[in-house]
Amino acid sequence: MKKSKNSKLNLTDILVTIVVALVFGLVFRVLEPVYNVLQPLGLHLDALLYGIWFIAGPFAALLIRKPGVALLAEVAASMAEVLFGGSGGIINFYYGIVQGLFSEAIFAAWRYQKFTITVSVLSGVAAALGSFIIDLFYGYLADLAGWNLTLSIIFRLIGGALLGGAFSDVLVKALEKMGVTNLVRPVTKDDYDVLKK
Amino acid sequence: MVTLWTNTDRLFFKINPSFKFLISVSLFVVYLVVHNLNSMIWATVLFIVLFLLVNGFSGRFSFWIVLLTLIVSMFSAGAMILFGQGTHVLFHWYLIEITEEGLARGILIGLRTFIFSIIGMIMASTTLPVPFFYSLMQQLKVPVRYAYGCLAAFRMLPMMSEEFVHVRQAMVVRGMTRKKGVRALYDRTKRYALTMLAQSIRRAQRTAVAMEAKRFSMTETRTYYYEIGWSRYDLYFLALILCTVAFGFLLSNWMPLTPFTNVIDN
Repeated sequence: MKKSKNSKLNLTDILVTIVVALVFGLVFRVLEPVYNVLQPLGLHLDALLYGIWFIAGPFAALLIRKPGVALLAEVAASMAEVLFGGSGGIINFYYGIVQGLFSEAIFAAWRYQKFTITVSVLSGVAAALGSFIIDLFYGYLADLAGWNLTLSIIFRLIGGALLGGAFSDVLVKALEKMGVTNLVRPVTKDDYDVLKK
Repeated sequence: MVTLWTNTDRLFFKINPSFKFLISVSLFVVYLVVHNLNSMIWATVLFIVLFLLVNGFSGRFSFWIVLLTLIVSMFSAGAMILFGQGTHVLFHWYLIEITEEGLARGILIGLRTFIFSIIGMIMASTTLPVPFFYSLMQQLKVPVRYAYGCLAAFRMLPMMSEEFVHVRQAMVVRGMTRKKGVRALYDRTKRYALTMLAQSIRRAQRTAVAMEAKRFSMTETRTYYYEIGWSRYDLYFLALILCTVAFGFLLSNWMPLTPFTNVIDN
């Protein structure tokens, strides 16, 4: 029992996180053609879908509730994209690290005590902000026409909040009902209190 | 696993995977700071040649993959080409304003995406997963439980894609795929995600318990079935990449194709 209270990641946490990331990685690959078709319109409608790229981090953190999980999930998902030869190639790895760090930071700010929908939405938004840091260097964002840039930022933040944050909360709530989450979460004080009754 | 690799005996398969990975990752930084359109064009040409020479796919397949990637990469520059700021207007129609500067910048971004994709594909097409993760453990000292976790997860991929097909067939039988609209799309996505996630998490947890019972996560005094080391091929690889990069810059000095030597300030 002592071991499961430990916040260090064990093999179960790691394997579950990576597998979750791969499931989302499959979703990424399925969605990629849709995303690529929306891009040349230039109106940044693709940015709304962009949010699904941030989901692995908040979802894994909500699921396993341990430090470091959000980062690991995002990096694993991006590694999978590199190894499957997704478009963008090696750059996905950098996006993964930055987005993972940003969405991890939100959970860390609440000291890994709070896992509500608000925190997960914030985490999705943080990942979206992180992705802009790379885009700033990579895509010369500052040289776009003003209205166009604003559109892109707003769409991506909405996408991050809805698809990355809120949707992962919906999914985890549903998994809680199915009893799957009990397998992977660390034992909490509530669990011991139940035993005492 | 699907075998895309036709011939695993080629030069690039013998390079130390960690070394290949580190070089690919650092090439990213090199081309991130290039703002000269000429250098980008020449680098693109040279990396296409390199990819066609060393990749592990069959000839026709690698040609199509280059072409497709080029088209998709150009899509990613769409916004910059159509709405980029600049003074020399080439074309104007309602909100769309194509300027010379925006076009040059857009093409640069497109080519940059393309180069990163090509480097990624050189890596992906010549690296087998098992040596890659063994090399991560041995050369880069990645903790054993992470590397074996990744390997186990990769072996679950075929099962996941099989499940994906099953879920889709179940939906077709029940007529769910015929429903249209945003609400139906949301329901469908949720159903896909939930079924796949629940199955995968349960399976991963079972596997991990079994692996821990067999001491897969043990760190001290461990031996490896595969020993990944260094060879002269690593030197060849380094020389080849350095030549490619250097020639890209030299050629852009000798034969500049466009007047845009710095796309940021003009």
